[in-house]
Amino acid sequence: MAFMFRRRAWMSTTLLVALAVLAGACSTDYPNSTFNHTTDFNAANDAVWDRLLFWGTIVFVGVEAALLYVILRFRRGSAARETKPVHGDTKLEILWTAIPAVILVFIAIPTVRTIFMTQAKAAPDALQVEVVGHQWWWEFRYPELGITTANELYLPKGRTVNFALTTVDVLHSFWIPQLGGKRDLITNKTNYLWFTPNADIATDALNGFCAEYCGSSHANMKFRVYTVEPAEFERWAAHQARPAVFPVAPAVPAVPSGAGVTLQTASTAPAASDSSAPAAPVAPQLEPYWFPKEQLPSHVIPTTKLPVGLTFDESALAAGDPERGRELYSRSSCIGCHAIAGNPMSMSKVGPNLTHVATRHTIASGLYQNDAKHLALWIKNAPAMKPGSLMPTLGVGEKDPVRKTVMSAAMGGLTDAQIADIVAYLQALK
Amino acid sequence: MATIVAAPPYSSTATESANTGLMSWLTTVDHKRIGVLYLITALVFFVIGGLEAFLIRAQLAVPNGTVLSADMYNQLFTMHGTTMVFLAIMPLSAAFFNFLIPLQIGARDVAFPRLNAFSYWIYLLGGIFITVPIFFAVAPDGGWFGYAPLSTKQFSPQINMDFWVLGLQILGISSLAAAFNFITTIINMRAPGMHLMRMPIFTWMSFVVQFLVALAFPVITIALVFLQFDRFFGTNFYAIGAGADPLLWQHLFWVFGHPEVYILILPAFGLVSEVLPTFSKKPLFGYPVMVYSGILIGFLGFGVWAHHMFAVGMGPIADAVFSLTTMLIAIPTGVKIFNWMATMWDGDLRFNTSMKFGVALVGMFTIGGISGVMHSSPPADLQQTDTYFIVAHFHYVLFGGSMFGLFAGLYYYFPKISGRFMSESLGNWHFWLTFLGMNLTFFPMHFSGLLGMPRRTYQYDAGQGLELFNLLSTIGTLVLMLGTLFGLINLWKSWKSGERASSNPWGAPTIEWAIPSPPPEHNFDTLPQITSRYPLWDLKGAVVTHPTTVADEAGRVQKTAKQLGIPMPNPSILPLVTAVGVIVMFSGMLFTGSNMKLAVAIMIGGAVWWIAGLYNWLLTPLEDAH
Repeated sequence: MAFMFRRRAWMSTTLLVALAVLAGACSTDYPNSTFNHTTDFNAANDAVWDRLLFWGTIVFVGVEAALLYVILRFRRGSAARETKPVHGDTKLEILWTAIPAVILVFIAIPTVRTIFMTQAKAAPDALQVEVVGHQWWWEFRYPELGITTANELYLPKGRTVNFALTTVDVLHSFWIPQLGGKRDLITNKTNYLWFTPNADIATDALNGFCAEYCGSSHANMKFRVYTVEPAEFERWAAHQARPAVFPVAPAVPAVPSGAGVTLQTASTAPAASDSSAPAAPVAPQLEPYWFPKEQLPSHVIPTTKLPVGLTFDESALAAGDPERGRELYSRSSCIGCHAIAGNPMSMSKVGPNLTHVATRHTIASGLYQNDAKHLALWIKNAPAMKPGSLMPTLGVGEKDPVRKTVMSAAMGGLTDAQIADIVAYLQALK
Repeated sequence: MATIVAAPPYSSTATESANTGLMSWLTTVDHKRIGVLYLITALVFFVIGGLEAFLIRAQLAVPNGTVLSADMYNQLFTMHGTTMVFLAIMPLSAAFFNFLIPLQIGARDVAFPRLNAFSYWIYLLGGIFITVPIFFAVAPDGGWFGYAPLSTKQFSPQINMDFWVLGLQILGISSLAAAFNFITTIINMRAPGMHLMRMPIFTWMSFVVQFLVALAFPVITIALVFLQFDRFFGTNFYAIGAGADPLLWQHLFWVFGHPEVYILILPAFGLVSEVLPTFSKKPLFGYPVMVYSGILIGFLGFGVWAHHMFAVGMGPIADAVFSLTTMLIAIPTGVKIFNWMATMWDGDLRFNTSMKFGVALVGMFTIGGISGVMHSSPPADLQQTDTYFIVAHFHYVLFGGSMFGLFAGLYYYFPKISGRFMSESLGNWHFWLTFLGMNLTFFPMHFSGLLGMPRRTYQYDAGQGLELFNLLSTIGTLVLMLGTLFGLINLWKSWKSGERASSNPWGAPTIEWAIPSPPPEHNFDTLPQITSRYPLWDLKGAVVTHPTTVADEAGRVQKTAKQLGIPMPNPSILPLVTAVGVIVMFSGMLFTGSNMKLAVAIMIGGAVWWIAGLYNWLLTPLEDAH
């Protein structure tokens, strides 16, 4: 019978759909899937989702099957049929008012329970992380550890992390789909979100997104999350809390002097303390750690296309000199926005902190790989690389896509050779 | 005491109004013609909004698409939402309010025919005002929701959002004027015997919607006035530097925005509740329950707004309360679905295009309803909000619900509007392509959303597992466009040369089907006496609304209102004149940034213009002395 066949096809479609959802839950083909049980937070939320999916599937199959039955059973055949003028039935009305009401009870109870569970106060010993939204990048601070970094977040497994979310401009939303739901960053307000990554999840690199529309480059406001072993986290944190080591010196435990800074040491100390005053106690120095580049999964390697017409003289890159670059950096407009602990000229907090920029795997908020070529192009013309970028065009002869002006040397523009020097400096900031 | 002030002398020069030519359309106050104007205008905007959507999907077909720039993309998604909500679906509903409500309640016209024309002209001009900038790449780009502080001058210094702030206020005038007009019409102008529980269900749902408009639009107007004052006069309602709480905007916007959802869907529910009984040859199952559930949906709709804000950090108590109120709405909505199915049960179902769209609404809206319950639960919503899962959800509601219902209504009422049938063969193509295209476009979005794709992003990386879903959605858009093309061709051809329809071609039960198709200007020759909910079924042949004439397809001549001695409102250009003045006044605001003197001059000019227009309007009697 035709309708039996159709109904079966319909049911199997539904099943397939459900299977696809389940497949999405486990498959590595979907690196930003929301169906994980990697934290207490997403496990609790996903349990509610499972109930919703269960009841939703029942309602879906029930209603659509009934509808198809009505369509196939009562459609007019070759001749019109007589119908009975039935106007209603009170018992039926009560019945199908009650059915959704009862289903909703099954959904409402776990919902309310989970709301109160996941929005309780975070454990007092939680790792504190301050998340600050900027158009269009993320600032991450670990206030207890004296670390300020950008766009790349390290989380130790097995420890509760409590995010305090604020924004300096418009609304944003902090979202790591693999680890849990989102929370908005609201101007003039601090929001909180906490969860505990399970101790037994893999050491992994995950994607984070801005999920609240925030203007031109909303799509480009991404970040990376590295779930690492507690020991690795400690090594990372100890390293990040120190000023950058420049020039790359032999392993001297030169903590307060921020090696290589030959300017007045007096001003160095506050520069270092800017991010890491408590880092002074000279514990046995841990081997620096950051997520190894070779282990990056493909889904955290950006594939963003370069803007048409923006090029860089790649032979200049090889000739870049970090020492010249530091000198150039320290007297150019770079220092108007960026901070590098250890470089006393560079203390501004407008843009991302570059202290250990070379330990990051992406630039421009997860938009490009952090390598010499992309860094050079970025410095040359950031607004062309990322729509709306508040970092100005710096390359000589480059047209600022917003202001429509062409950069000249007199305006402080940089030649490819100069940019190559700055790139060499930044790449030395490990 | 008996001082009787003589009434001002009416001019007796008015003749029978011409009913062809451009001037007749510019001056018309006939609710049916205004309905047709709404219909055509809204369909044009529907096509524009659809093309905007197509460009969005073209950009997203593959990772890191290069069809659009980020800024153009942001303008397009802002305008797609704004266009579809305010310029397509609401006015399509308004087309049916206009055309049908007076016919369904047995009235000569709406209560305020010139105000009705004014509503239309404000809508048309406001729609042009807000749409034209997209052709110059300066369209609003803050999203249809216009969240502060992004929409404030500090973060959107260009003219783009000015068009949005002013345009929505202009459109609000139109909606509010229409709402009061229809409320008055429905309360005061029902034919003798049509007490509320005999009112056709479409009119009932429209009645609910007018109250929603009247109560919800003032709220967004306040939000917009605040924003306008911030942008133009430097007030601090949303100025973050002055300590503003951006959630003020969100609360105001969604107190409007959620009832707006029901403003968009209830008219479609009403239309389907007319279509299903006729083509099932059975009365609507549980009419009183359908009425109450519509009222309940409208009422509860005001208590759920913060479910759009579960991620903003309202705290567990507010999250729990708004979650539960939202879930409650599923009950009256579910009841409607069951009643529609019970209406069809044991019926004699005739699957023409209208019925296909109507039944498809029941099936597709159910999907949107289920996903709606899914994100009524904050724990699930925290993963789903601002992802493509939400996009999938509300397109099942607004396309699978509202648009399918409006298409069902269009195919159903087209014979009444035009006197001709729409083509069933073209309609078949229209339906199946639309049905297929809609599902192909929006179903994969459930997956792209749950698998981590945020909304409002102009590009996404390769290798995130999103390629297939996005490509399917884009292909679906192409199918949808093809389907829409069939629909438009059908409309055009049928209008010109469709098969002639009799007064009641479907064997429908309500009184609009007792008068000729298309109806004469005065609608009913005599006031119909209503003794039942379905007079044309219950009293076969007994409803005599045209004792002096019969439908012209029988070759006999219809008498005009004048021959019958029915006083009709005179055509008037003044609603249009007044509307133009209002638009000019608002347009002046656009120049405040560049040339204050010019801006003030334009605003004063516009104000004087519309006040003069209104003054003349008020002093001109609606109809000739009688």
